[in-house]
Formats: sequence, structure tokens, C-alpha cells
Amino acid sequence: MTDQAPSAAVPLLQVRDIEKTFPGVKALSGVSFEVRAGEVHALLGENGAGKSTLIKIVSGVYRPDSGAILVDGRERHFATPDDAKRAGVATIYQELLLFPELTVAENIFLGHAPRGRIGRIDWAAMRAKAEELLASLEIDDLAADMIVGSLSVGNRQRVEILRALSHDARILIMDEPTAALTESDVTRLFDIVRRLKARGVGIVYISHRLDEIFAIADRVTVLRDGAYVGAREVADTNASELVQMMVGRRIENLFPKTDVPIGPPILEARDVVRRPMTKSVSLTVRAGEIVGLAGLVGSGRSEFAQTIFGVTPAESGEIRLLGTAVKIESPESARAKGIAYVPEDRGVQGLVRAMSVLHNFSLAALNGLSHWGFIDRGAERRMAERGVERFSVRTSSVDEVAGRLSGGNQQKIVLGKWLANNPKLLILDEPTRGIDVGAKAEIHRLMGELAAAGVAILMISSELPEVLGMSDRVLVMREGRLVAEFDRAHATSEAVGAAMMGGDGQVEKAA
Amino acid sequence: MKPVRRMPRWLARHETLLAAILAIALIVLGAFAQVFLTPDNLLNQGRLMTEIGLIALPMTFIIITGGIDLSVGAIVGLCAIMLGYSWNTFGFPLPLAILFALGVGALAGFMNGLIITRLKVPPLIMTIATLALYRGLAEGVSQAHSVRGYPDWFYVLGQGSVFGVPTQLLILIILIVVAGVALDRTTFGRTLYAIGANETAARFSALPVDRTKLIIYTLSGLASGLAAFVLVSRVTTTRMDMGMGYELDVIAAVVLGGTSIFGGSGTIWGTVIGLVMIQLLKNGLALTGVKGDATIVVIGVALILSVLIASSLQRRRE
Amino acid sequence: MSATTFVAVTTARSGTLRRFASQEALLAVAVIGLAIVVGFINPRFLAARNLSDLLLGNAYIAVAAVGMSMVIVSGNIDISVGALIGVLATLSGSMAVAGIPIALCWLTPLIFGVAVMAAQGAVVAYLRIPAIVVTLGMMSILKGGLISVTGGKWITDLPQKFHLADLNLFGAPMPVVIMVVATVLAALWMRYSAAGRAIYATGGNAEAARLCGVNPRRTVVMVFALHGLFAGLAALVYATQLRVIQSTTPAGLELTVITASVVGGVSILGGVGTVVGSTLAAILIAEITSALVFINVSPYWTDAVRGALILATVIADIVRRQRRAARAWKR
Repeated sequence: MTDQAPSAAVPLLQVRDIEKTFPGVKALSGVSFEVRAGEVHALLGENGAGKSTLIKIVSGVYRPDSGAILVDGRERHFATPDDAKRAGVATIYQELLLFPELTVAENIFLGHAPRGRIGRIDWAAMRAKAEELLASLEIDDLAADMIVGSLSVGNRQRVEILRALSHDARILIMDEPTAALTESDVTRLFDIVRRLKARGVGIVYISHRLDEIFAIADRVTVLRDGAYVGAREVADTNASELVQMMVGRRIENLFPKTDVPIGPPILEARDVVRRPMTKSVSLTVRAGEIVGLAGLVGSGRSEFAQTIFGVTPAESGEIRLLGTAVKIESPESARAKGIAYVPEDRGVQGLVRAMSVLHNFSLAALNGLSHWGFIDRGAERRMAERGVERFSVRTSSVDEVAGRLSGGNQQKIVLGKWLANNPKLLILDEPTRGIDVGAKAEIHRLMGELAAAGVAILMISSELPEVLGMSDRVLVMREGRLVAEFDRAHATSEAVGAAMMGGDGQVEKAA
Repeated sequence: MKPVRRMPRWLARHETLLAAILAIALIVLGAFAQVFLTPDNLLNQGRLMTEIGLIALPMTFIIITGGIDLSVGAIVGLCAIMLGYSWNTFGFPLPLAILFALGVGALAGFMNGLIITRLKVPPLIMTIATLALYRGLAEGVSQAHSVRGYPDWFYVLGQGSVFGVPTQLLILIILIVVAGVALDRTTFGRTLYAIGANETAARFSALPVDRTKLIIYTLSGLASGLAAFVLVSRVTTTRMDMGMGYELDVIAAVVLGGTSIFGGSGTIWGTVIGLVMIQLLKNGLALTGVKGDATIVVIGVALILSVLIASSLQRRRE
Repeated sequence: MSATTFVAVTTARSGTLRRFASQEALLAVAVIGLAIVVGFINPRFLAARNLSDLLLGNAYIAVAAVGMSMVIVSGNIDISVGALIGVLATLSGSMAVAGIPIALCWLTPLIFGVAVMAAQGAVVAYLRIPAIVVTLGMMSILKGGLISVTGGKWITDLPQKFHLADLNLFGAPMPVVIMVVATVLAALWMRYSAAGRAIYATGGNAEAARLCGVNPRRTVVMVFALHGLFAGLAALVYATQLRVIQSTTPAGLELTVITASVVGGVSILGGVGTVVGSTLAAILIAEITSALVFINVSPYWTDAVRGALILATVIADIVRRQRRAARAWKR
């Protein structure tokens, strides 16, 4: 299923048909991947695509359910992260694992400092080796004695890279390395990456920033929903093909939205700001309308939604509901005004997994179900049973613990709990991520019904076909701002994809 | 179909187990010491366990949300002092002094809750710090002077009886019912469980998380103040070291009663069983001639054991 | 030895001055500053006899705070240390009165302290019971156990040789020597040894620590064991200064020790802080207690001041951390 020409040399690292399942979630299904010496191989995919699970398996943190890991052509089993390190695999995570109280040299050699005769740490040798490493990458603005706590993020990252090298890493995995870097840091990082390439180190570069991939990578592999989609030589592909591979899906039974009369504006946001992610957003959602909000990871869509919902209230700007200016200071306030938010992270933000289906269904509507604070249990049970029926939630009874249900059914509960309040504005954050086809179709059908009933729907989604199929209008966010708006007729995957990435879709390779 | 009042199945099992152990212990102790099962003794035990019992009610709420309040003993001491001091030194009429003391307790608890919710200081750390502060204030205000000589009517609460039942026990029973019903049947109670099980989801479900936390810590302070009132009324004097060590008994009662120290589960009825068991333990030890100080050894062991057992049962269930 | 000299000595020995975090410097300034202010109000405060009594009488708190700081840095807490010190002091004294060789009387509290604390550490690390619960229970067991075993009897007739604290080493009184040596050794060890840094790693981010090859569970047991060693040492310093050992727990000792650690810069959230800070803070707290007497404030207010101090420090620390986190880059 690979698309590249067979190479003569044995790849440094190969994974074949890796499968990994966690309770309730199939994280990886039959993923294969390889890195050659001196190559930068990018790993591309949306959240939940399986990139970090794959990386953790290669680093020895998880063990695969099946499949093989080969280093230099020989099969290896990594029981612990140390095994992987010994095999020459080093990983640089997004959360840098450095200790700010210690120096550069101490951080580099943490856990494997050179020792003197009686087993005490040989400080001089450690400093000397650290200087050597710094010199080998021609880093002249860092010294071995500097306290890491005083360094910028970019510099700390370089210390992490040096630490990996101090383990004689031959395969270096970098997880979203540029997420927190300034432009000059990125340039310096690429410089180091090129030097490492020249040394024969194989680099796995995880990123969702397509311009960087085109600047630094030789090959790119795309994962989606835990499966391998394809691999390309960077020179032979372009941005929109990659975007298609990342977010496109086989056309399933999506219920295209039927045309309903669009009513007055329900939500009007003007220049809403909430640091650090929401720089300035203005948009309108009308009754009966489904507005799709597209954008890449990190574009600030969820953050904006949570500002409208009152979790992180707006710092400035104006929000109007049904024409009246309002201040939304808390989720309680938002709910009282008729706003509902179905969050992105189902397990942590949406459901209380330890509670029953019954209790989850009523969680957002308790006020309506109680008299003088006392919950009407009969009404609560009736509501839950109605909800189970209406949303076709597959469960043995409403007393079943919610955490045992499948992802799709859990999502329906979260949706149902908010619909019990008859909201005027429904914000859906990745409503069909990680759920089966059937449940997906049901949720789409439901959205259509709600729109027909006059609810204003703002749908955040990373699935382009879903966005294109369901939305009356498509808005695109990038880096905390709204950068494009398309009506149904003009929204195509090329246009939207281009707006998501920025520029005009043409990406230049750096010299 | 008529709605049946349900409790999560496993919880019911835990409590019936506890109740069974309690019943057995009662029988054994009764057989061993004749004086034990007399109504006089039992009522007296009920009288003695009220102070801890009052505080154990809001403590159950707090532990269900995954928090803890270690300052309760210190608040008891502070309120006891404030009661005596305001009456004796400020010259408040005694009823006012009582209300003042209760107010101080509520305020102390409110401070805990305010800083925990606004500044996001972890409850453990916050209440260790206020434990030190409130105890220190009690010492400082009292200058180690005791207050005595309250009027006769003052002792009705701590030493009197109503239809043969000790006054404070009656109050405790009423509050147990109120607390139990609140926890079991109201939105407030449901919110507590949600916070303990998944605070983030509770917030995202538009539940009044911060307000609820503020309420339970204030209630804890208020209950400590009430316990102080009962205590002073029972022992007829006010001393600055009152309430010392209460946090152990209260937390032990709650945990023994099946409330998980990690939050998300527990009931008032369980706490009551835990409370009775602890009192039973103390009474039994006293009857076999063990001196008062040694009983805290047993309570300490009981605390650790019950958390251990609960934790390993939890892990087996997963 | 005056307070000033002492601070300078600690500074020099602890190594590079530039590594002095602002908290330690602040404490040193506070110690000196307070002495000057109080001395101004009541010059008898600065009498050599008073200052040396202050230092000698409270050195054991600093020693105990060294171990407590390690525990808190690792992300845990212990409220049983006060009761443990009471037990160990009584144990040591009883052994001495019973005629057991003095060296053994000095060694036993150390061993026993390590054993009791290590057991608690194991329960916390391997059985995943929160430290507060374990140490709360243990505190009661130790407190009650002490009273019931000894009946509250005072230990008198301690043999002369028992009094380790009366000895002088190179002209310096033993309690101060032990305090300084303990602080310095612990500080160096935490800073420069792999095991010491493992404590910071575990407290700062246990998951990250694991990915770096640190074993958080073993580290926690080790930290508690060390804490027990320092508790035993503190008990020794405490007991050997007394002519009569009351078989009770010094009231509120664990709170004072925790206050010393927290005021000394150890963050209650774990991962940050030094033992030098806690020693300085212990001295500061002792100084405040004494100062209150000299400016005619009733000693009954000491605990309130201590309580206010720990509350203020905790709040300041948490607020500072949050402000720093808010300013840092969000993913």
C-alpha cells in the first residue's frame, strides 16, 4: 500500500501493521511507516488521527497489540522507554521534559552523567561533553553552565535535542516542534535538522503545518482516524492533495441539509477577544442556519466557542443574542440565555463517565426538573427514557454507567442533555469525531431537524466533507481570526482547504 | 411504571455490609460488657458523638467533591473561645454571644471556601494553613484563660434531654435527615457528586461549581461552630484547646462510612454508620479499661485500614 | 555565633552565590532585618545569650524541616512528624535511663525514624493512598501509642553522657553543628545527586519523570525514609538538650515544621524549593517567637502569627505560579 519506490538501503526504523486499541477506542489499525537514514519524514494528521499513539509505541511508552517494529531491519520489542532509547530512538515531546533548576549540561546528561572513579558524577567531563555537543551543531549562543530556567522556549528545545543526541540517537522524533517557537527559532531549528540529516540521523517530524513540511521534509505520511492513508515524496505532491488525504473521507450517508427558511440572527459576535487564542472574531449565526467553522488544529475555534459559552468569558468585543447585547460570564449564564455547547473532549468535558446515563441526561437541565431544589425523579427518568428513544442510544437501561457506552452513544447523550433545554443557539464542537458511521448519520439527521425547528447551529468540524455537506455557510478560522467566509455555492474543498492553510495555497519550499 | 428510588447498587452493598458489621459489634460488645446495652449508656454515647457527628455531615459533602477540610477542629476551638470571650469580656448577652460564635464559624469556613474557589488553592493546603491560623487565633484571643459560670439554661443543649433523648442528639438526628435528603434528592446533592466525579464536565454542564463549593466549606465552619456550642454546653467551660484532634474522628467517620477519599461517591447514611462505629469503638475500649488517649491509636488504624480496603476494592472493580 | 555570621557561613558553604534564589536572600534579609528592628525596640533581644538560646533551642526544628522540605518537594506532605519526634525522643531517653550504651541510644531514634517513615512512604507510593490520610492516621497511632505506653510519665535521671547537645565541636555547639551540616549536606545532595534531582522531577511532573527513567514510586519511599532520618536526628537534638523529657508530643510541632518549609520557599505544589530556605525560615520563625516576647506581646499570639505566615506564603506562592502559567505560551 506504500506509494514510494523501494529503497536500496534498509530503513533505520520501520513499523509494520501496528494495531493498538484502548478501552473503547481503536487508536491505530494497521499502520505502517518507515524512516531512512538522513531523511526527514513528516507524519501528518488531525487530532485523534493516531500520531501520538504511534509515537508513544515507537518510543517504548506503549506496547502495540500487534504488528512489528524494526530497527535496521531487525525486529525489536520495546518494553520500556529505556529500551527504545538504547535502540537509538529519542523523542522530543511538545511538553519539554527539562528541569529548570538545573544547567544545560545537567539536563543533557540527566540520568546518564559521566561518572568518576568512586561513582560520583564527573562534573568536568560532563561539561566538556556538553560543550562538544554544542559545538557539533554549531550552537554558539548557549553555554553548558546556563540555567535552563532562564532560557527561552526555542533554546530549551535545542537543549532537548542535544539530550537526545547525547544518547547517540539515530532516530529522532519531534512532536509538533514549532508549536511554541518564534520565526527565528524555527529557522534555527531547521538549521539543526539539516545538520542532523547530513549526519545520517533519521527524523520523524510531526506537524500539522503544511508550509513547514514542504520546507523541511523529504517524505510525508498521512494518518486519519488511526489508519494509514498514504505516503508521498514531498517533491511530488502539493498542499491540497495532503489536505484532502488528511480530512477527506469516503462519502457516506451524509444527510445533506435540506433548505429551511433562515430566520433572524440569533448570535452576533463583533470583535470578540480572549487571550491568548481568540485574537478577534466577528460572526453571525441565524435561526435555522447551520454555520460550519473550519480550521486547522490550533486555529482557536474551540476557544472561541468556549468564550461564547462563558467558560472563558470575553475580554472585549460585543456579543448579541436575538439583537440584545449580553455579557456571558459563566456557563450558567450562557445556558440561561439559551446557549448550549457540546464540547470537543467528550470524556473530560462532556460526560461524567462514572455516572449513569440517567444522571448524565439530566445534568444540564436539573433546574427545570426540580421544585424548590428537589429533583422530580419521575420526570427525570421520563426525560432520560425519552432521550434514549429519540436519539437511539444503545444501552441496556438508563441506569447503565455512561462510561461503558460506545463513543457514538456517549456523544448522543451529551447532545441529548443539552437539547433537553431547548436551546436557541447550539454550538457543536467536533460532533462526529471518533464515532461510527451509523451514529454519525443520526447526528447529522438530528442537526437537520433542529435547524428546521429554528435552532441556530454553529458547527466546529475538522472533517471537510461534513462541513461542506452540512453547512449553509462555511467560515474559516486561522490563528484566532476569521479569514474567510463561503456560502454554500462557493464552498469547495480546495477553496476552504486553502483558506485553512493560509496564503493562496501555493507553498514555497525554503532554500 | 412507578419510579423506584434507586441507589447505585454497589453503594447499597457497602452500606449493608457496614450495617451488618455494626450489628455484630453491638451484640458482641453487649455480651461482653453488661452495662453496654443499657439505654442509659446508649443514649449517653449518642450525646457524646454529637459534636463529631455535626461536623461529619458537611465533611461528607466536602469529601464527596474530592476536597477536604482539616481546619474543623481549630474552628471548634475558635468558636468556643469566641463564645466565652464575647460573653465574658465584650459583655454580649449570652444568646447574642452564641450567635456570634456561630457567625465566626461560618465566616471561618467561608474564608476557606472563598480562597479555595477564587484563588484555586488546593483544599488540603488551604485548610492546613487555616488550621494553624484559627488555632493560633483561639490561643491569642483567650490568652489561655478559661471561661466558666454560664447560666443554667445554657446547659440544656449539652446536658439536658427532651423526652429522654439528649437534646443535642435530637438536633443531630434532625440535621442528619436534612443532610441526607439534600444529598440524595436535591440538585445541590447531585452537583456535589458531579463535582467529585468530574469537575470539568460539571462546569461544562453549567452547574454552579464554585458557588456549591463555597456553600459546603461555609457549612463546615458553621457546623464546627455549632459543635463548639454543644461542647461548651456539655463540659460547662470554654477552653482554647477544644476541638483538638476532631479532624481525625470526623474524617475517619466519613471514610469508614464508605465515602471515597477521592470523591464522587458516599452517602450521609454511610457516614452515620461510620460515626456510630467510631463511637462504639471508643465506648468499647473505655469499657475494657483502655484509657482515653489510646483510643486515638485505634481510630488512626481504622482510618488507614478503611481507606486501604476501599481503595483495593475500587481497583478490583476496575 | 551571631545570626549574621551564621548566615554568611551557610551562604559560602552552599556553593555558588549566584544560585541563590530570591526566596533565600529574602529570608536572610528578613532574619537580619527583624533582629535589628526588635533590637531597636528592646536591646536585650540582641544579647548574645538570647540569640544563642534561640538558635540552640530551635535548631532541631530546622533539622526536621530539612526532611519535610524533601517530602513536600516530592509532591507529598506529612503531618505525623511531630508525633514521631515525641516518640523518638521518649524512646531515646528511656533507653538511656535503662542503662543501654549511649551510642545505641543515639542510633535507635534514627533507625526507628527511617523505618516508620519509609513504611508510610511505601503505603503512599505503592498502595496509592493519599499522604494526608496515611500520615493523619499514623500521627494518631503514634500520639496515642506514646501516651498509653508511657502513661505520660516524665523521664528524669538522664545520665550525663546522654546529652549530645551539650557537646561542642570545634567550639560550636552540637545542635548548631548538626543543623548546619544537615542543611548543607542535604542541599548539596538534592542539587547534585541523581537521586536528589529525582525528587524534584517526581514532584514537578511525575509523568515526565517516568519518561526520563526516574522511578517515582521508589523516589517517594526514599524521600520518606530520609525524612525519617532527619526526624530522628531532630528528636536527638531535641531530647539531648532537655533535663527532663515529657512523654508527650511537642504541641503543634508538625505545623511549625511545615511552616518552616513553606515559608522557606518550598512550593506546596511540589517540584520547587531548597532546604537552605527552610533552615533560614526555621530560624526566622524562632526569631519571631522570641521577638514577640521582647516587645511585650503575649506568647499566646505566636501561633496566630505562625498561622498567618503560612497562609500568606501559600497564597502568594499559588498566585505567583498561576500568573506565571498564564503568561507562558499556551499550546
